[in-house]
Amino acid sequence: MSARPSSSRPLQAQDKLAFLLSLVPYLIDHEDVGVAEAAQHFGVTEEEMRRHVRLIAVSGLPGDSDSYLHNDLFDINWDEFEDNDRIVLTHSVAIDESPRFSARETAALLAGLQYLSALPENADRQALSTLMNKLARGASAPPSPVVVARARVDSALPVLREALVSRHQVEFDYRDAQGASERRTVDPLRLDSDDENWYLRGWDHARSAVRTFRLDRMSEVVATDRPASRGSDEVALSDTLFETSPEDLSVVVEVSESALPLLGDYLPEGTRTRPGRRPGVVEATLRVGHYHGLKRLAARLSGVVVVREPDQARTAVADWARQGLAAYGEQ
Amino acid sequence: MPSEAVPVEERLFSLVLALVATEHGLTKAEILSSVQGYRQRYKPGGDNASLERQFERDKDDIRELGVPLETIELASDAGNNQNLRYRIPKGAYDLPADVTFTPQETTLLNLAAEVWREGSLSSESHRALLKLRSLGVDAIEPTIGYAPRIRVREPAFEPLRAAIDKHVVVRFSYLKPGEDTATERTVEPLALIKHEGRWHLASFDRGRQERRTFLLSRIVGAVTTTRTAFTPPEGDAAAAALADLDRILANGRVRIRVVPGSDAETRLQRRAAETLADDEFVLNYSDSNLMADELASYGPEVVVLEPAHLRDRVVQRLRRVVADHEGTAR
Repeated sequence: MSARPSSSRPLQAQDKLAFLLSLVPYLIDHEDVGVAEAAQHFGVTEEEMRRHVRLIAVSGLPGDSDSYLHNDLFDINWDEFEDNDRIVLTHSVAIDESPRFSARETAALLAGLQYLSALPENADRQALSTLMNKLARGASAPPSPVVVARARVDSALPVLREALVSRHQVEFDYRDAQGASERRTVDPLRLDSDDENWYLRGWDHARSAVRTFRLDRMSEVVATDRPASRGSDEVALSDTLFETSPEDLSVVVEVSESALPLLGDYLPEGTRTRPGRRPGVVEATLRVGHYHGLKRLAARLSGVVVVREPDQARTAVADWARQGLAAYGEQ
Repeated sequence: MPSEAVPVEERLFSLVLALVATEHGLTKAEILSSVQGYRQRYKPGGDNASLERQFERDKDDIRELGVPLETIELASDAGNNQNLRYRIPKGAYDLPADVTFTPQETTLLNLAAEVWREGSLSSESHRALLKLRSLGVDAIEPTIGYAPRIRVREPAFEPLRAAIDKHVVVRFSYLKPGEDTATERTVEPLALIKHEGRWHLASFDRGRQERRTFLLSRIVGAVTTTRTAFTPPEGDAAAAALADLDRILANGRVRIRVVPGSDAETRLQRRAAETLADDEFVLNYSDSNLMADELASYGPEVVVLEPAHLRDRVVQRLRRVVADHEGTAR
């Protein structure tokens, strides 16, 4: 691979430059602003904000005599800064407007917007296309070609979103991977998506615990008029949709090395693999909640993944495929 | 080294300021001898080779941020690259005055940036948010309730994206769905498209002399970036490829029967393009092998009625699974 990494040094310096170039016009517009307020607006710590303001205050243009002269530097009201933690820019040089977005930055936001265009909030296609045009005009070069097809959104999404925002309980029939269906009562906490799949995370009343539900396994979704007992600000949610539990079963699979990404979330980041019996093949230990998910995974990746251990797992997979053949009148 | 006293961001910031302020441009010697972060290390009349390399890298980093750093060659200086001049035209640097965003739009852009949680798209969208914040508009509400995400798991993604931006030919080996051995491909990469949850590369295949679309998940091993440049075709390659993928999806039709009350019924019925009976409907698909993979995963819960070739592919997969899992291990 000869592609140069996006930067030969830690990306941090580039990000800091973007921050400095963005901070100057903000400080020009806000003639007198508290460090705390500015830090919050940019999502940085107050100390980071102070450090960058100090750097701006000593920066400027080189003079003819190869040294920097006072008038060619930015300046701030140092008393306000040191005594009252307030930023007052008193002199600025060279730049006064926000920088344009780069081609790649624009592409990232545009592709994100394309994906979000299916959300119920974005039913106003005109408003969205106005926003996308504006973004493209703010780019320094034509956006690089990365596009995302509009997400397929389940009809349950608007109902769940509405209940989440107004903090009401929802009820729905939920069919799990085993095929068992049950009516659930849930306080909606967050709607997650993972490519074309959408998930609800919520407080399951019957189980008194946070659970993750696939929207495409729900039916008869209704918002009730009962207030939710827990809001999203009261329950900590982890960043991973599925968490492993001590009761999970360990399964050893053999998989072509090149097909490892196809295992997706079954192979959490950092999972170690071992060399397999043939070149190009590796073994990995997966943690699964039950064999119902595993047999579907093995049947989807036929010829690519082979379950090695334990024997019960192999039997569950073989039986699943055999029943499938029987449905075609084969054996 | 004494140079460490000036932080990288201070040198880059000073360079941008100097190049925006100059009307006619600065020569490399002027920059290295006078700009903060370089001047401390500049040796008048001496060897400044490492400082010059530093300057080349800094230019790349600044351009990557979307700052239009220009190189100008005065007619009188033609051929003498010591006399190239550098500048940043302010008109091309400044965000146009009419590009402003409402609080609603700002909220939506914040959410669009959150969609990327890995790789270069994540750092770039966060950098774009910094620039957006310089306009001083706050989002109306924190985007509570949604945590949308597009995955970028495929290692081929970053090198392909870099090659697309540089318009250079790439080589990789490709394991076509349904085939056992990978083949070597040499292509002009044009666009990356996420469609039906999968990343695709739209390209011109040099070996086959036609447009080809590849699945990133099927690229085996590393992508080799060559030095061979190509001229991208006119028009919006990404939009054209997306339209192609939509058309292919609409043309692929499979009629299936599902077991009532099964997981397959709940999950597949809502994707039905046409419902023929309570337990019988038509799905669209773009690749017959990938569709066969998905339908095989449902085991006995789904039976493919037609087309016959798809039915055969599913049966073939199930047979293979039985063969691979019969008997005890080892």
